[in-house]
Amino acid sequence: MTKSIDLMSDESLMEAVKNGNLQQASMLFDRYNKRIFNFLARMTKDRELAEDLTQNVFLRIIRYRNSYREGMRFQSWIYQVARNVFSDHYQAAKNKTSGFVDVEKIGEMMMDTQDSREQEEREKLLEKSLALLSDEQRELLVLTRFQRMKYEEVAMLMDTTVANIKVKVHRAIQKLREHYFQLERI
Amino acid sequence: MNMDQERLNSMIIDYIDGKLNTVDKQFIEQELVNNADAYKLYEQLREVMHTIEKAEQLEPSAKLKEKFDDFLQSEIGQQKTKTVFFTPVWYRVAAAVALLVVGGGVGYWISQQNRNKQEILALQMEIETVRRLALAQMNNDESASQRMLGIMAVYESVQTNKPDDEIVDALVTTMNTDGNSNVRLAAIEALSKFTEEEKVRKALVQSLSAQRDPVVQIALIHVLVQMKEKEAIKSFKLIVEDEQVLPAVKDEAHVGIFKLS
Repeated sequence: MTKSIDLMSDESLMEAVKNGNLQQASMLFDRYNKRIFNFLARMTKDRELAEDLTQNVFLRIIRYRNSYREGMRFQSWIYQVARNVFSDHYQAAKNKTSGFVDVEKIGEMMMDTQDSREQEEREKLLEKSLALLSDEQRELLVLTRFQRMKYEEVAMLMDTTVANIKVKVHRAIQKLREHYFQLERI
Repeated sequence: MNMDQERLNSMIIDYIDGKLNTVDKQFIEQELVNNADAYKLYEQLREVMHTIEKAEQLEPSAKLKEKFDDFLQSEIGQQKTKTVFFTPVWYRVAAAVALLVVGGGVGYWISQQNRNKQEILALQMEIETVRRLALAQMNNDESASQRMLGIMAVYESVQTNKPDDEIVDALVTTMNTDGNSNVRLAAIEALSKFTEEEKVRKALVQSLSAQRDPVVQIALIHVLVQMKEKEAIKSFKLIVEDEQVLPAVKDEAHVGIFKLS
């Protein structure tokens, strides 16, 4: 029984949830919570907030299960929900924060300290540089590089062409490189 | 070849990603040997891209899973207890009605004991007031939710008693004429409690030909089949033959004919 559930596609599990078998959402949570958390942690630069928002993503998946359309790729759908949750939070927080990014704090906040010292230093620098990108550029890098999503999938998610995504990702990497080596000199 | 900076950047990124064809790959390798700036750019891009590649996946805390499990269990629990009357406002009405029923019970007990007659009168008046209120709510033209509340109150209050004519008439009128399908459904649900009453059975059979909303039609067919009302077969047959009726409703009517025949 467990084995057959393990083999079920994300889409079949979501169909089951939609048809009232809510317990199957647990399997989808196990498959996706880490990825969605990583996406949101890198987008928000705040791990605690990212956990709350991840919780919201799964809450929406369950509460709005009827809006899942048959044949829709589940991964695209959950990322779309995650983007909406982030965007809603960002809109709500926009008026409360100045938009100022404290790059010194970000490196510390985001790190798991198990890496080698050199990699650790580089990752801190990377997180600080990421924080200086626009939301759009950061999102593109998080999806394509950290989450290793294909350009095709991201293009579908953002409703644009693969060529357009590729150009934007390359520009974002270039911008990230600039920030990274500028910060390194400080 | 004089290529612009953006194109060079892009090709170096593709080179690091291993996505260049042989010709472009040879070209970039040549460029890296001959052009010190290009080589510096390559080294910097490689460091940034490798750092991303090696970056550890962040681990959410155990709290995330715990909170999700709690949420899921509460959703499953709610799903189990959901009925037609599931909105929070019904809980308040149910509480009020429960109070009413308890009040009625207490009143009955008091009368049995032949206690203070004034108290009984007061309680009876209170019950009557609530009953009047419920009937008035059912006639609220402004708000469908108020009419639903009224039906719910009636539904709960007559659970232990026989319904009086006034209540049955009000429910039948609502079932046949209310503009809101959900209110009509609630009226059918309430009436299905009193199917012992000949008057109610007749009204339910007659109502089938008056309903046009498929959801209401199907709910009504279910009730009629459940009460084993053979009189309904004629109406079911009319539905099967009616070209205006949705196939899903016809299917239900077919099943109904089969079960009642």
